[in-house]
Amino acid sequence: MTMDRQKTKEEVIDALHGVASEMHDKMLRGNPPTMTLPVRSKSNIGFDKKLGVYKYGKKRTIRDATSLGSARQLLRALHITEFVEGMISDGKTSTLREMYYISEGWGHGKFSSQNESNGVSEDLEIVTKCMREDFGLRPEEDGARIIGNVTFEERNRKGDWMRINCRDDVGDSGYGVPYNVEPEKLRLVEEDIDFVMAIETGGMFDRLVENGFDEEARCALVHLKGQPARSTRRIMRRMSDQWNKPIMVFADCDPWSFRIYASIAYGAIKTAHISEYLATKEATYLGITADDILAYDLPSDDLTKQDLNALNAELSDPRFATGWWQEQIQLMQEIGKKAEQQSLAKYGLDFVTDTYLPEKLGAMGITY
Amino acid sequence: MDPAERLSSKQKQISISEFFEKNKHFLGFDTLQRSIITAVKEAVDNSLDACEEERILPEINVEIQRMKGDRLRMITQDNGPGIPREDIENVFGKFLLGSRFHAIRQTRGQQGIGITGVVMYSQLTAGSKTKVVSKIAKDSSAVFVELGIDTRRNRATKSGESRDIWLDEETGESVSHGLRIECEMRAKYQRGRQSVHQYLRMTSIVNPHASISLVVRDRDGSVIEEGDWQRTTERLPREVSEIRPHPHGIQLGSLQRMLRESEERKMTSFLRHNFSGVSMRAAREILASAGLAEGRSPKRISADDAQGMVSAFRKVKLLSPPTDCLSPIEDLLIKKGLSKAIDSRFASTITRSPKVTQGNPFQIEVGLVFGGDLSAEGPIEVLRFANRVPLMYQQGGCLLTKALEAVDWKRYGLDHPGGKGIPKGPAAVLIHLASTNVQFTSEAKEAVSDNEEVFEEIRLAMLEVGRGLKGHLKKSSQRKKAREKFELINIILPEISKKSSELLSREEPDLAPIITKIMDAVFCEEELGWDDERKLATCSITIYNYTARARAYTILAKWPESKETKISENALGGNKQANGLWAWRLDTLNPGSATTIHFGVSGLRKGEWSDAEIFYRGNGEVIGATKIDEKLLEELRKSEALEAAESEFEKPKEAISQLKERAEQSEVSQSQSLDEGQTSLFGDFSTKDELEGIE
Repeated sequence: MTMDRQKTKEEVIDALHGVASEMHDKMLRGNPPTMTLPVRSKSNIGFDKKLGVYKYGKKRTIRDATSLGSARQLLRALHITEFVEGMISDGKTSTLREMYYISEGWGHGKFSSQNESNGVSEDLEIVTKCMREDFGLRPEEDGARIIGNVTFEERNRKGDWMRINCRDDVGDSGYGVPYNVEPEKLRLVEEDIDFVMAIETGGMFDRLVENGFDEEARCALVHLKGQPARSTRRIMRRMSDQWNKPIMVFADCDPWSFRIYASIAYGAIKTAHISEYLATKEATYLGITADDILAYDLPSDDLTKQDLNALNAELSDPRFATGWWQEQIQLMQEIGKKAEQQSLAKYGLDFVTDTYLPEKLGAMGITY
Repeated sequence: MDPAERLSSKQKQISISEFFEKNKHFLGFDTLQRSIITAVKEAVDNSLDACEEERILPEINVEIQRMKGDRLRMITQDNGPGIPREDIENVFGKFLLGSRFHAIRQTRGQQGIGITGVVMYSQLTAGSKTKVVSKIAKDSSAVFVELGIDTRRNRATKSGESRDIWLDEETGESVSHGLRIECEMRAKYQRGRQSVHQYLRMTSIVNPHASISLVVRDRDGSVIEEGDWQRTTERLPREVSEIRPHPHGIQLGSLQRMLRESEERKMTSFLRHNFSGVSMRAAREILASAGLAEGRSPKRISADDAQGMVSAFRKVKLLSPPTDCLSPIEDLLIKKGLSKAIDSRFASTITRSPKVTQGNPFQIEVGLVFGGDLSAEGPIEVLRFANRVPLMYQQGGCLLTKALEAVDWKRYGLDHPGGKGIPKGPAAVLIHLASTNVQFTSEAKEAVSDNEEVFEEIRLAMLEVGRGLKGHLKKSSQRKKAREKFELINIILPEISKKSSELLSREEPDLAPIITKIMDAVFCEEELGWDDERKLATCSITIYNYTARARAYTILAKWPESKETKISENALGGNKQANGLWAWRLDTLNPGSATTIHFGVSGLRKGEWSDAEIFYRGNGEVIGATKIDEKLLEELRKSEALEAAESEFEKPKEAISQLKERAEQSEVSQSQSLDEGQTSLFGDFSTKDELEGIE
């Protein structure tokens, strides 16, 4: 199933004008201009049964121009609108960082930090229900690396479609996922795999590549690079939808890695407005689990105060409300330990591919 | 026991150098770093005292040169009266010098060892003589002499004495009077909080009448550190009068000595002539209480009877000792001194009136500076002084520090973790204790010992400067908020209007009603300036009415009224409400309009007026001003009328600062509508008609 969610240029501009209209209408009635946004916190995300992902709830916050800070945000949103309109009509795109520098010329609407410009862009996405790709705004960070027997077609700068097999046409660093993985840029052509394995750390990704795990276990290896970029989550979602392959997430055993999984499976709080495009609800957490620390007697570190706070927060996070997660989190709190993926090296370099992964995958019904 | 007294009693048994060696910790020569500070301190204190006595504005230059090994050469030069040839040996060679021990008044040096210690230290550690050049005004030439100490006889030895014209090394001109000391010693120059630089900087703060400079050079002649603190006032400290001791401060030993040495024949006259605060009636009561006949001879009073007198002193009601023996710096000069040494945004200073503890008059002065260049990290800087002498060591054990720590600084806007220790923030606090008898914890004289009355006085002074700081912080935060609001309505809102209209190709909306909704308040902003041409301090107060209703106010401003100052260029007129408080009744301010009061004050110097306080009378809140407390104002007027009947002038300051705290409901003044002099706040967007139409 391919989701045709691309909006036309006119739809995008209309949506952006809706933001300006809200401000203008308020002022015509003699009131300070406003911008209405969903509350972006844990308390305002809920499970959308129809879409199977977590989305923002009904809580709204109104940003009005009665304080200097909010008024500046409104003015910046208008400047971005004008800038995006210009880019759309010229057929250009820019990075968020470029926009930050361009804002130098916006007088009182200029950004004082890149975080600020990212924030206002996100606000506009949420309010307009567009994606920043629709605005022609690109993130700085690059996407993931993929190695495995899958074939994509990517449209290059010249506008030609290039066919790339992620096993045979790439070096050891794999296929680099572009920032835009929508159908107009990237096509999923062929595959000969049984599942997709998403790996948190580069060290473990390289270990599995060196050990030839992708061929041995018939899978595509995806390096998440920590908290995965939007395009990484989006391409996994597309592989899951189009090829109907399970996604196995292999990460460290610590509260932050749990969040990486949650953002893949259910959506991140920051991007809950586009969860239905990014989240892959079929994704499964493979390990490392708190059970594994005990079962494999892995070298571990004590949980820090921040770790414990994060675990507590996760206990009340709707994305971790299942019995299994609650058990794992509580077990972790009990033993007070965390472990890295690479702690498996305790038993040798091949232990992960010879013993750990076959055992874990086998328990989930994947054998090879 | 005083070190000098101890010295004199033990003199026979031990040699001076032995004594010096044994007691160098309290003579200030215990470490190499401290020795140079002590040496400079002894020389500079002497210079300041001598200049003050002769009513000369001091110019003191200090030079320190690194020599081979751990040696330093110190050169100090002043423009003081100089020392007559025949007195030089005494001044530099005797531990027990003089008049200071019997007279009771506020002086810097109280140790009596002073510069002799420097000569001794130089001789003991560097084996070198101290070179002195002294010129007194009435001689045509200066005396050049080298001094050492004969440690057996407790006497200076002179050598190489000559007379010559003394030419200043820098200017080449002949010096008319002054003193130059040059010596070498084992010592180490160190920078930081305990350094010669810090000592001189602190000294300059509390001696705003002195110009002091410092140059420290390395062996190769390069400058390591320097400082130049010019005087900020031409006014010398008040001449202090000597007073007789007060019975409440007298110890048995001293009383016995006084009795022994007395020339009086009768006890009544002994008491009346040798003590302050003792009237004839009191003298009789003391003697009656001690069971002594009035006619007895002082010389024949036994130890037991003397003890009885000491007890009687406590029972009989006595007059307080006079306090004109104290020389406070005075708050304005503290402010100037502080601002000379520290670049800050705000200064609050207070000189408390003199008090008495155990028969000794004392007076507390406190100054607080905030903001500017001061570091926001770590504890605030505490500058302690006793009789204008910086205290640089044992900060934690000092009463002055303890009293500072006892204040809950959080209430006044400083970070004070746990309410304990030195508060944190970009501030510095100066504490000056002036007293005829400063009690120290030890003979090192670096920390003031505990005393309830002194403690309480410091605490009260701290509260006062703390209130000033709190007001300042509140005002700056209000001002910041007001500025933000002005930026919002004058710049951002019009841009939002323009941009959104452009994007949508629509008409621009009328902003006037929106501005009123966003602001919904009356703002007051004052600005102090200085007109250098006319030597006029200027003040303008602007009131903005950003509400939907017309407003009427009377604005009151605190200004530095004194005999020398006068309000001028005051087009709006107004009237005097109390000393230092002027009022203007304003015409009705229509919604969206503003009006400004301008006036000048003559008779001030630049920087003397740094903080205006604005009050108002009228309905609703005025952001940036305080509602006047009518009751307190009434009380203030009454007490002023009384005072005026008695004396000429008093500071209205304290009463006015109370006005601010007790802001209460007050009467509203009515005034007539008039648009003249009012300007629209809404620029192009509004006219009066439009504004009325909104409601």
